[in-house]
Amino acid sequence: MFNIRTLRKGLLVTAVCCLLLVLPAAADTNGELLGDKDDGSRAIPVHLIPLLDEDGQKITPDDELILPFSAYQTCGECHNYDKISSGWHFNAVDANVAPGRSGQPWILVDAGTGTQIPLSYRSWPSAFKPEQLGMTSWKFNQLFARHMPGGGSGELESDNPDEVVRGFISGKLENNCLSCHDADPAHDQAEYALQIARQNFRWAAAATCGFASVSGSAKSMPDTYDPLMPEALDEPKLRPPTIRYRENSFDHKKRVFFNIVRKVPAERCYFCHSNIDLGETEVEKWSTDEDVHLAAGLTCVDCHRNDLDHNIIRGYEGEASVSTNLLAATSSCKGCHLPEETSPSPTGGRLGAPEPKHGGISPIHFDRLTCTSCHSGTWPKQKTIRTRTSRAHGLGTYSVDKSDDALPHIIYPVFSKQSDGKIAPHKLIWPAFWGSLKGRQVTPIDLEIVRQGAGIIANKALRRYGDWPSFTEETIVEGLALASQGSIDAEPVYICGGKLYRLDDKGKLIAEEHDAAKPYLWPIAHDVRPAAQSLGIRRCEDCHSANSPFFFGGVEVDTPVVSEKAFVKKMVEFQGLNPVYTKLFAISFVFRPLLKVVALGSCAVLGMVLLLYGLRALACIVRVLGEN
Amino acid sequence: MFRIVSTIAFLVVFGSICLHCVVSAVAKGCRWRPVDIAKTLVHLFTLLFLEQKLNVVGVLRKLIYLLALLCFVILLITGFYPVLVHGEHLSGYLLMLHATFAPVFAACLAVLAVMWAHNCRFNKSDWPWLQHIIHREIASDEPVTTKHNLVQRICFWLIVLLALPVILSIVLGMFPLFGTKGQEFLLNTHRYSTLLLALVAIIHSYLIIRTKIEH
Repeated sequence: MFNIRTLRKGLLVTAVCCLLLVLPAAADTNGELLGDKDDGSRAIPVHLIPLLDEDGQKITPDDELILPFSAYQTCGECHNYDKISSGWHFNAVDANVAPGRSGQPWILVDAGTGTQIPLSYRSWPSAFKPEQLGMTSWKFNQLFARHMPGGGSGELESDNPDEVVRGFISGKLENNCLSCHDADPAHDQAEYALQIARQNFRWAAAATCGFASVSGSAKSMPDTYDPLMPEALDEPKLRPPTIRYRENSFDHKKRVFFNIVRKVPAERCYFCHSNIDLGETEVEKWSTDEDVHLAAGLTCVDCHRNDLDHNIIRGYEGEASVSTNLLAATSSCKGCHLPEETSPSPTGGRLGAPEPKHGGISPIHFDRLTCTSCHSGTWPKQKTIRTRTSRAHGLGTYSVDKSDDALPHIIYPVFSKQSDGKIAPHKLIWPAFWGSLKGRQVTPIDLEIVRQGAGIIANKALRRYGDWPSFTEETIVEGLALASQGSIDAEPVYICGGKLYRLDDKGKLIAEEHDAAKPYLWPIAHDVRPAAQSLGIRRCEDCHSANSPFFFGGVEVDTPVVSEKAFVKKMVEFQGLNPVYTKLFAISFVFRPLLKVVALGSCAVLGMVLLLYGLRALACIVRVLGEN
Repeated sequence: MFRIVSTIAFLVVFGSICLHCVVSAVAKGCRWRPVDIAKTLVHLFTLLFLEQKLNVVGVLRKLIYLLALLCFVILLITGFYPVLVHGEHLSGYLLMLHATFAPVFAACLAVLAVMWAHNCRFNKSDWPWLQHIIHREIASDEPVTTKHNLVQRICFWLIVLLALPVILSIVLGMFPLFGTKGQEFLLNTHRYSTLLLALVAIIHSYLIIRTKIEH
């Protein structure tokens, strides 16, 4: 007999089973978090969110120990942190990531020892890996994390026990999402650099916020200090790292408002990506024009786009072969300015980009030159100039050295051949370092060892910053002689100014060319000049003349050796061109107007002969056809 | 594409010329003795000399023709060698050489056009079959033109006609009149019109040599 009680039980069980099946599917689709997938709305979600510390605990103003918020926990609630960490700004330490085109390296500078050496975790030609200099990620972060958005080397574990201890006190340098996405006018990225200098890695991101302030220094803390369970310090002058949030920052639900934007303002990019030219009369921001794209109303991220994976477009030709970004192929100069011929639908005019006519320019130029050759950087002069950049010179930080001679010396524009065979404008540094030569391989010597040795020779404390010291050949001989007595098992050498210096068997100094002494170059693309200021806009002789800077301009050879300071190389030496031919070809342009006159005159004569006899033939035909 | 077309065209023309030489020699019953071949080569060489019977204008005409021929050979080699042999654009010292002799060639063509136009004009004796078609009863006083002469004249006027796109396609590209697409069009125009001009000029030169030898 049918039992109602049994029926109710069965229905209940069925309902519970259905619920159990449906709920997980609704809650989590492919591991996507709330902010990972775009719902199509162009409006920016208001980020009124709780702050979470590195353990995922909610931070409130009533907490006994106020901790800095963790981007991994706070932002990671809604955005896939690990996926974002695979982006270009964070993945330098990942050996599996294709390095792509050479970019600006980090430059290790030590004025006292005559050192400026390009470093990168990426396998860019002529750049050294930090570990080649005995530099751990901990030391690397102390030197360079001031102009990084966190993550990358900031989250690497050290093998050095001392650094492990210090790392516990300082914390990890997580991805600082606010470096880019914080539109709050009170956002202060310079604070980030200050906190890095104090080894306050855990506090650095929070310190940039307008509603938080950080004081104290992890660097001065003893090895036994525990920042999560701080005890009173023996030395009253020592101030542990501490954060204070502005009182009215938290709402009644203990949430804080972040002024987050999807479209990163250019000012955020500028902290790490600014330059200033030196030695020019007009270098102040108010007296120079910005990039023509920005003047037209675009912002950096209109071209340099990325998906959730933050694999940002760098914007050079051929990037699509190494980038997984879907827009890599169409986000170069050509991608916006020239329509794609094979596309089934029109693609020109993206972002309002005008299509260039390039009137009178033979197509061979587009095979041999990049767009940036004619359109980017400063108008080339008879000699290269020096420039300073944010990452190399710490621009925007509190204690930046504003003197024009401060190392590193970056030289530009240098029109050089790229790996793809095209000539492009580059920035350049001449590496200078003490190394050891084994076979044909030069390995830099640990800088601390070099400083110890140099200190012995100089018999005084050596400065780290400023201009080159005045090296003479005797100085180099002394240094190499001292190094040869040391523990290195290879031949000591000194690299600078494009030369390798070593001692021969008799102790005499020899200077020779070597691959390790070659300059490090990286292509530039900004600032883009307007079309009316591009090379060749006036006449072919902008480049094709006997004294044009493009081919025959002088490239400064930067060196601490006093006797070599005035040496310059010709631009053509960097372009893989025959200098004699280039000169003759340039001179031939003097006769170009004559060629045009002769050719057009000849055409006129030929045309008149054809016309004359053509009319006579016509007259003959008319006569014949008119006869009976 | 241009490389293939040029190669085939040159092979066809040179092949036809060689075939014509052989057929003509066989038809005349020539013997292929080394002495006869040497005599022919010496005769060919003497064609470069200035004949004593020439007046000043005649000497000038021949000198300009020889200069044009020299320029033509240099332009032909510098222009087609990188394309046909290496499949590359013209560049480097070959480009400079090409650009140096090009205006000289253009000027020589213009002068030769003026000097030869009258002699190379077509007349009634060139078209006896046309005369027959239109039933002209008037007998022509002019001798019937040989086949060679007619073809030579046709080649002459083709050269004059083709010289215009050859020269203009390059010169106009030196002014900011044409954009990238236009420059590519001009370059292709120069290539193909030069190819035609070269083929016609080769045929023209061959016929002149044959005429000189046979007379």
